[in-house]
Amino acid sequence: MIRLSRNNLRIPKFQRPVFVVGAGMTDFRKRYPEKNTCQLCMEAIRMAVEENDLKVSPEEYRRSVNWCVYSQFADHFGDQLLAAAKVHDYLGFDPLGNIEVKTGGATGGSAVLAAAQAIASGYASCVPVVGWERMDEVSTKVGNSYIASAACKDFESELGWMYASYYALMAQRYQYENNVPRETLAKIACKNHEYARFSPYSQNPGHYTVEDILKNDIVSDPLSFLECCVMSVGAAVLLLADEETAYRLTDHPVQLTAICGGTHTLRTADRRHMPILLLPNETEETYADYFQGRRYEWPGFSSFLATRMAAYLAFNMAGIKDPVEDLDLLETHDAFTISDIQTYEDLGLRPYGRGREFIDSGDAYYEGRLPTNMSGGLIGTMHAVGATGIFQLGELFWQLNGWWDKFHADPARWARYGKQKPSDFRSLQVPGARRGCAVSHAGTGSHVTVAVMERT
Amino acid sequence: MSVELNGSVATIVSEEPLIIQNPKNWYHAHSYGGWGRFFKGLRQGKLLATRCTNSACAEKRLWLPPRCECPDCWHPTEWVEAPTIGEVFTHSTVKYPGAPFRASTPCPLISVAIEGVCTKLMSYLKEGTPRMGLPIRAVFNRERPTNTILDLAWVPR
Repeated sequence: MIRLSRNNLRIPKFQRPVFVVGAGMTDFRKRYPEKNTCQLCMEAIRMAVEENDLKVSPEEYRRSVNWCVYSQFADHFGDQLLAAAKVHDYLGFDPLGNIEVKTGGATGGSAVLAAAQAIASGYASCVPVVGWERMDEVSTKVGNSYIASAACKDFESELGWMYASYYALMAQRYQYENNVPRETLAKIACKNHEYARFSPYSQNPGHYTVEDILKNDIVSDPLSFLECCVMSVGAAVLLLADEETAYRLTDHPVQLTAICGGTHTLRTADRRHMPILLLPNETEETYADYFQGRRYEWPGFSSFLATRMAAYLAFNMAGIKDPVEDLDLLETHDAFTISDIQTYEDLGLRPYGRGREFIDSGDAYYEGRLPTNMSGGLIGTMHAVGATGIFQLGELFWQLNGWWDKFHADPARWARYGKQKPSDFRSLQVPGARRGCAVSHAGTGSHVTVAVMERT
Repeated sequence: MSVELNGSVATIVSEEPLIIQNPKNWYHAHSYGGWGRFFKGLRQGKLLATRCTNSACAEKRLWLPPRCECPDCWHPTEWVEAPTIGEVFTHSTVKYPGAPFRASTPCPLISVAIEGVCTKLMSYLKEGTPRMGLPIRAVFNRERPTNTILDLAWVPR
């Protein structure tokens, strides 16, 4: 049994506020041989500095920076150790200090956390967070084995060399305990592929029916190909600053009110039980009837303790009492349809065992109470792993500033990536959105960050 | 003095944009360290787990995968033979595995619940059809051991 002390659960504090002043990204592709990694990062940071209404030139921005954070998941993929040093040089930031962050799929979120810590502590005042992944140097099958190298190579990776299988094991158990219809899982895939149709950055958009998803070939049962995230090449950038610098750089800063991390064992196998860690919108009463029938322990294989831990800290830090009521937007790490349902519960959008209601009720859609993954998410738009957590917060930054159309609706932007804007295009700008949340997630829940951003 | 280029010429994948092959063909000498005993145990048909030796430690159950030290109190653990029967806790049959997978497909992966063990070891079902709660027993690949976790599998009992 896991035992946590009050000190273990201390709510983090920033010594001073942290702001986001710009976001940029490339489009995301399965293969991107036309541009090397340094060029992709340059393209993303140029967009962040040149297209977000900053009051300074790129040269002036560069002269404001005093610390840099880089985010790449796997040296395996890029086949270049210390790639961050090449990118740092290419972007013209030498001899400023930098750090490269690695926490698997949550690398992007953790990189933003590291940058926020630098600003909140006073160590730095202006920090670009630059993330990328180049997953096109190897075949998809080899790529899957690289990703499975981020499972335990001694006791688990050999069993399939396939992360989808490790999630599928959780999916089967979740469904056994909670009886979620396959159709509900498929709806999440339909939703995110559909929203990706309205993103010029997206790699895998598509209009699918639930039936299409269910008829799709199975990778590892129950998960079909269309229920799994894409493998991408691309980069994303988020510009962070302290309050004084933020208002010198822009009239449109968005505050990063909280970003917190949690972890759990890399091997799903090793997950011991504990009492459910309650969020502000839950009480003992919420779970009075939870442990019965096939459910006899928490978190088991059905819940991500890392997500619950990060949400517990972040929601308490940001003063969020009820996430569905208090948030206007959510970006989840929808690596697989099943992990999305699990995440709904870990975030307290519904109590444990009832996550399906968040999608079945319509809450998760654009028209719903908490529009989720308007970006198209990892299933529809991208999973260039080191860029992913940064991409999510970039999309939120644009939404909270009312700039979604500016960055998605302009036909010239589609043309920039050699695409044509769809004739049935529709805006996914959430009117008046004030507060958003993003979840960055690694392994089968080995590392998770939960971030909350708020328009000032 | 003249300098010659040794070795083969890089194979071109694409001329425009230029893409070349960077070949790799070497091995890692991977150390199991203290966990080597587990893999040697599989060769002998034994499922070896560990238990914390600290009488004050609250975790009395077995660790499988084994740990040489207890994660709760950091005391050394002792090796004990775990039961070789259990139940399927969850399962998924992998159809499209990653490149180095050494077993035939489709392959039913399983997580195994074993009485007295605090973890749910990942493994595979060598025979039969997986289902929740299926009673199973361990079988060991002793003929031509891979010296990996693949040397342990399970069959219905």
